[in-house]
Amino acid sequence: MAGFILKRLLQAVFVILAVTLIVSFAVRLSGDPAIMLTGGAGGVTEQDLQNIRKSLGLERPFIIQYFSFLQGIVVGDFGRSFMGGTPVAKLIGNALPATLLLAFASLLTSIAFSVPLGVYAAVKRGRWPDQLIRILSLVGLSFPNFWLAIMMVLFFSIFLGWLPPSGMEGPQSFVMPALTMAIILTATNVRLVRTSMLETLSQQYIMVARSKGLKDWVVLYKHALRNSAIPLVTYIGLQFGGLIGSIVIVERVFNWPGMGTLAFDAISARDYPVLQGTITVLALFIVFINIVIDIAYGFIDPRIRTE
Amino acid sequence: MTFSKFLTALGFTAAALAAPMAAPSAQAAGTLTVGLTIDPGSWDPIDTFLVPWASAATNIYDGLTSRGPDMKLNPGLATSWEFLDNNNRIRFKLRQNVKFHNGEPFNAAAVKFTFDRLLGDEGKKGPQQSNYNSIDHVEIVDDNTVDFVMKQADPVLLTKLAGYGAMIVPPKYLQEKGDEYFNTHPVGTGPFKFVEYNPKVNLTLEAFPEHWGGAPKLDKVVYRMIAEANTQIAELQAGRIDIATLIPFALTPTVQQASNLQLVSITGPTVVALRLNTRDGITKDVKVRKALNMAVDREAIIKAVLLGHAKPIASFQSELSFGYDPNLKPVPFDLAKAKQLLQEAGVQPGSAIKIDFRGNDATFREVAQAAAGYFQALGLKPSVQPYEPAVLLNDIIPNGKTGEAWHNSWGGWTFDYDNTAYLMYHSGEKWNPYGNDKKLDELLESQRKIYDVKAREKVLQEVARYVADQALEIPLYNQNTILGVNKRVKNFVAPADLRFRLNDVSVD
Repeated sequence: MAGFILKRLLQAVFVILAVTLIVSFAVRLSGDPAIMLTGGAGGVTEQDLQNIRKSLGLERPFIIQYFSFLQGIVVGDFGRSFMGGTPVAKLIGNALPATLLLAFASLLTSIAFSVPLGVYAAVKRGRWPDQLIRILSLVGLSFPNFWLAIMMVLFFSIFLGWLPPSGMEGPQSFVMPALTMAIILTATNVRLVRTSMLETLSQQYIMVARSKGLKDWVVLYKHALRNSAIPLVTYIGLQFGGLIGSIVIVERVFNWPGMGTLAFDAISARDYPVLQGTITVLALFIVFINIVIDIAYGFIDPRIRTE
Repeated sequence: MTFSKFLTALGFTAAALAAPMAAPSAQAAGTLTVGLTIDPGSWDPIDTFLVPWASAATNIYDGLTSRGPDMKLNPGLATSWEFLDNNNRIRFKLRQNVKFHNGEPFNAAAVKFTFDRLLGDEGKKGPQQSNYNSIDHVEIVDDNTVDFVMKQADPVLLTKLAGYGAMIVPPKYLQEKGDEYFNTHPVGTGPFKFVEYNPKVNLTLEAFPEHWGGAPKLDKVVYRMIAEANTQIAELQAGRIDIATLIPFALTPTVQQASNLQLVSITGPTVVALRLNTRDGITKDVKVRKALNMAVDREAIIKAVLLGHAKPIASFQSELSFGYDPNLKPVPFDLAKAKQLLQEAGVQPGSAIKIDFRGNDATFREVAQAAAGYFQALGLKPSVQPYEPAVLLNDIIPNGKTGEAWHNSWGGWTFDYDNTAYLMYHSGEKWNPYGNDKKLDELLESQRKIYDVKAREKVLQEVARYVADQALEIPLYNQNTILGVNKRVKNFVAPADLRFRLNDVSVD
């Protein structure tokens, strides 16, 4: 196991190097932070812009800028935001927990919906509940999530006045953003649970379990679901990575103070250090998740552990 | 933990998430909440040029002069001023018994410190310094008197002292706490003092009762950073922000229809034009440029695209701008005459005309398409080309790589035509890649030395007339500053420059 983890860590280093290099390079092609900082304002002269660029360290060659960024990462220093000089680590420290909380809430909500629905659809295979669940999940999959988000805001915040339309202020702030994400996730997850369950239910040991006279739900949830869980856990783990990516739009609509909002603002302001920092941390995070999934296999299926 | 227990736990978590459906807290009495689009990151006056900075910080700081919502200049921390030494020296008498929020006294030393900092190394790192380069240095005459020694004449200086980089900062506080601490813990002499700042989330201020202008009526002001227009409007409709600063034209009806809200649409600083290429293409010919000016129906564009929230313009400035000439009227829409002019100029039907514009500007995208439609009606072959704004502003325009026409959008807070015209039309300026007109250069340079208000206004009006005569651009419209305001807000006079000063505002 130790050797395996070490190998994965080495791979991770390369992934991170590649990601940071691409991001640092690409963002520099896209425009001048000095102009963004001055908002294209009237009295700004070329000399001003040059002074600003110099104070931001942008007059140095790209390679030097990139290496000083890497050097910073090693000691945990992501540099300072071009907007006001706040340390990037501090901004990420504020934003990462917000994003992770939202991602977990979305994932849990989605699992809470998709597992019972998927199992039910598998049991009622081919009959109308199965059809209905499949159609609904197709509908859920087809919604653009920003539209869904805006509709929810109109209904719950403005029409009913139950939930805050944006921000992260307490438990009720989670409901709409988590639900928006969860509906999209559930649409895929239901199908996955259903397929996986169908496969497991056709196994002989399920027949044995049934013929032992075990209750129906014990057979389903204790025997079948557990054995169907491997592909589910893999997929949900990967989904968590993807989730962090798609959370950007949802965060923006709900003004969620997370990594997505941070990255979005950084892109519009050409705030290189913040953008590099957020992307690197997210990349690190996704790599970490993948390692965790591999380890999680071992806990769900003891056969993998002994291999 | 077994898998089934895990599932049970999941169920509880989901239930816990869905359970607290309590209504969001209604607005607290005495607290005003404002939605801002961008978090400037630092509240130091010399670090930024962003309007949202001023929407908040105008309440934290005072300048030597001040300017109200009517855009008229008033005394601020200086009670009077006089010009000495052939206008090379401006002497300010300072207001007495004024204190900073931390108890530090305001005096001549604070003024000198502020401008030494702005004009020195610290100021060099930010975008504000160049605005104040006409000042050579500040001299202390006595504790309540300072002299500004000028490097060159600057008739706009008194206006510029009312905002942004010229806000007076506390010397002792800055020396003790350092610049970085000051960025996120600002202290000034303004009517509201800093309480709390959560980067990217909010900024909270509370009333400073000892303010020289009298205690503010509000207890607290909260600024929330909300970048998305739909979200700002949802928050406004839900009564959780009182003033929304980002209302796109298309969404104005939503605010108008809500019974608890008021739509404020006032003349703002932003002007929009299609600048024309005087070096290449068909627009080289002044006759063609004049024809294009006649071919565009400004009123129709304003009505259809901007839903009426703009005024047609004849020169590249708003009617609030110093140098505005009410007698200079926009060129009337006259397609027949435009066609005739084109024919006289010998332009072939189907000649190309390309419009370059900032691709992130959804409103102008429609305006550009409308303009292209008018050019097509003229028998030309128009095309529109969106650019990433930074590319257009940094490369395409300054390096003279534009098409026949390009999108120009401008809005200075000083409301002085000099600030626009000099940068737009003086040869060698970044925004003037093709022009090289001795007469314009001379006019623009001469007004920079004139302190006589009437005389300078006349020169600026001459500049505008000359530019219109040469048809260097198609001036389109002056778009309104639009705010959504909750009706519980009282005594709020919206300022065109969005520099809210909230002393007299109260909430029900």
